[in-house]
Amino acid sequence: MDYGLTIKKNRISNQSLILDIFIWVFLILAALFILAPTIFMFTASLMPANDILKMPYRWIPKGFYWQNYWQGIRGNDGSFIYIRNILNSLIVASVVSATTVIFSALAGFGLAKYYFKGRAVVFMLIMATMMIPFEAIMIPLYLVTTKLGIQDSYAGLIAPFLVNAFGVFLMRQYFITFPDEILDAARIDGASELMIFRTIILPNSIPAVATLAILTFKSQWDNLLWPLLAVQSEEMKTIPLYIVKFMAEKHTDEGAMMAVAAIASIPILIVFFKLSKYFLGGAALYSSRKG
Amino acid sequence: MNKRIPNYSIERKKARWGWIFVAPTLIFFSLFSFYPIFNALYTSLFKKKLLSLKPPDFIGLDNYSYLLKSSDFWNSMRATVVFTLGTFVPLLIFSLIFAIFIMSRKRFQNFFQLAYYSPAVLSSVVAAVIWLLIFDPRGLGNQWLNSIMNTPGIDHKWLANSVMVQMSTMLVYFWKYVGYFTIIFIVGLASIPQSIYEAAKIDGANDWKNFWYITLPLLKPTTILVSIISMLQCLRTFSTQYLFTQGGAPLAPINVITLNIYHTAIRDHQIGRASAMSIILFVIMMLFTWVQFKSSRADEISY
Repeated sequence: MDYGLTIKKNRISNQSLILDIFIWVFLILAALFILAPTIFMFTASLMPANDILKMPYRWIPKGFYWQNYWQGIRGNDGSFIYIRNILNSLIVASVVSATTVIFSALAGFGLAKYYFKGRAVVFMLIMATMMIPFEAIMIPLYLVTTKLGIQDSYAGLIAPFLVNAFGVFLMRQYFITFPDEILDAARIDGASELMIFRTIILPNSIPAVATLAILTFKSQWDNLLWPLLAVQSEEMKTIPLYIVKFMAEKHTDEGAMMAVAAIASIPILIVFFKLSKYFLGGAALYSSRKG
Repeated sequence: MNKRIPNYSIERKKARWGWIFVAPTLIFFSLFSFYPIFNALYTSLFKKKLLSLKPPDFIGLDNYSYLLKSSDFWNSMRATVVFTLGTFVPLLIFSLIFAIFIMSRKRFQNFFQLAYYSPAVLSSVVAAVIWLLIFDPRGLGNQWLNSIMNTPGIDHKWLANSVMVQMSTMLVYFWKYVGYFTIIFIVGLASIPQSIYEAAKIDGANDWKNFWYITLPLLKPTTILVSIISMLQCLRTFSTQYLFTQGGAPLAPINVITLNIYHTAIRDHQIGRASAMSIILFVIMMLFTWVQFKSSRADEISY
């Protein structure tokens, strides 16, 4: 098609072929390195402990050693507390996702579409909380939840994460481009502000809501530091705490350890591969924070 | 009927609704962000013991001067700085390379993005447990390194040696987040207009010149963003180090500041001292955020 370009391509084809092969090899080797530990977790979870630390490692298990999963769920003491702990993680992550989405959407809508005195200051204040690392306020939060008597409860696990500044920012950015005319038209038709929010704004912000909900869910599923401070009883532990406990209890049974880790990872990996665009979009959105 | 109400009252009604919408969030942040940080600042001026019924003693800046003289605190600062530098530099370089290489492919772009990002989806506790096994003396870590360096049978003491254990935590963090930053770079790359490369092609530029004179300068804002985000994240690292010490690694080499805060408060019950450390961490992160703010303002690019 483009005569000039093809000639140029032919001339440097040798060099670019080498570069091309180099890039493919590099990318594939990197992918192998990055995927190997996850594959290791799944294969090791199906092996008896003796096989896991054998040199060289057999990447394909000889058979399916399901006992690891049974042992992991059952626990070393046979209490099946892991099931309760998984449930706790599900409850905490779901509630936090829901409240984060609702409060972020409300605040983001208020900041994007209502012109009130002090709006800029409110926005600045909310954004300023992004600068406060959780690690710096965990001790006061620990003291507050102790004083309120919500230590070792769902309320205590959930309270510090009801909403976050990133969510407010994300929703505000999303709503800001929403045409004012539609909102005004709804007002003229007699819709209340809450009705506008519920029937016009929320249904039209599914991508932003989904992204925020998924990222929040994931970060709560991950959370170790706060549950370490907020939970004392076995019943209220979340998945990360169970893993820490299980590891300390019986460091030797590597197979069951990997099974426990695999159980914790399977749900989130399924969500990731089903809804990857929201994960990748979330990372991308983070980069728009500078704007 | 609405139409007959004078305009200013509609505006006032709207203003009221604006406040109603932001109120829950503002109340939340007052209770769970602003109050705690001021509380930490206040507590850092007291000698306060966890669980003690005695009223705390006001000791001014003694907690801070204690920390500045404490070798344990400086060890934590060292561990944090070493970890941050040792992690963010490779993260930055490799995520940039990955992004450029992935974008140069016509096929499998999606596969590589998903594959590289996938460790970020695993929880940090799971990541640490997996790598603890890999770093076992009989584990994959030794097998890989020995086959690369052709040194069969050598134990590299991934978790026992004080230098190696630092490298190990960096490797875990690098593995977990390199894909995340690759995605951010890919977004940055995608925003560079294709027409610039076409113009350069007509002028006879090759791939290397393209990279050096177009891609890299135009990626400067993304590069700064990635550096700052990754540095801030590294300064806050906790889970990997916590799990590693729980798994038997020595504490001192990887006793990062967050781990030290946790131990000082929960194990040693020194709430005042832990608060002082929290404030120091907060100030350091404020400085970084301020730098980010400054540099992102100075580097607006128009195409």
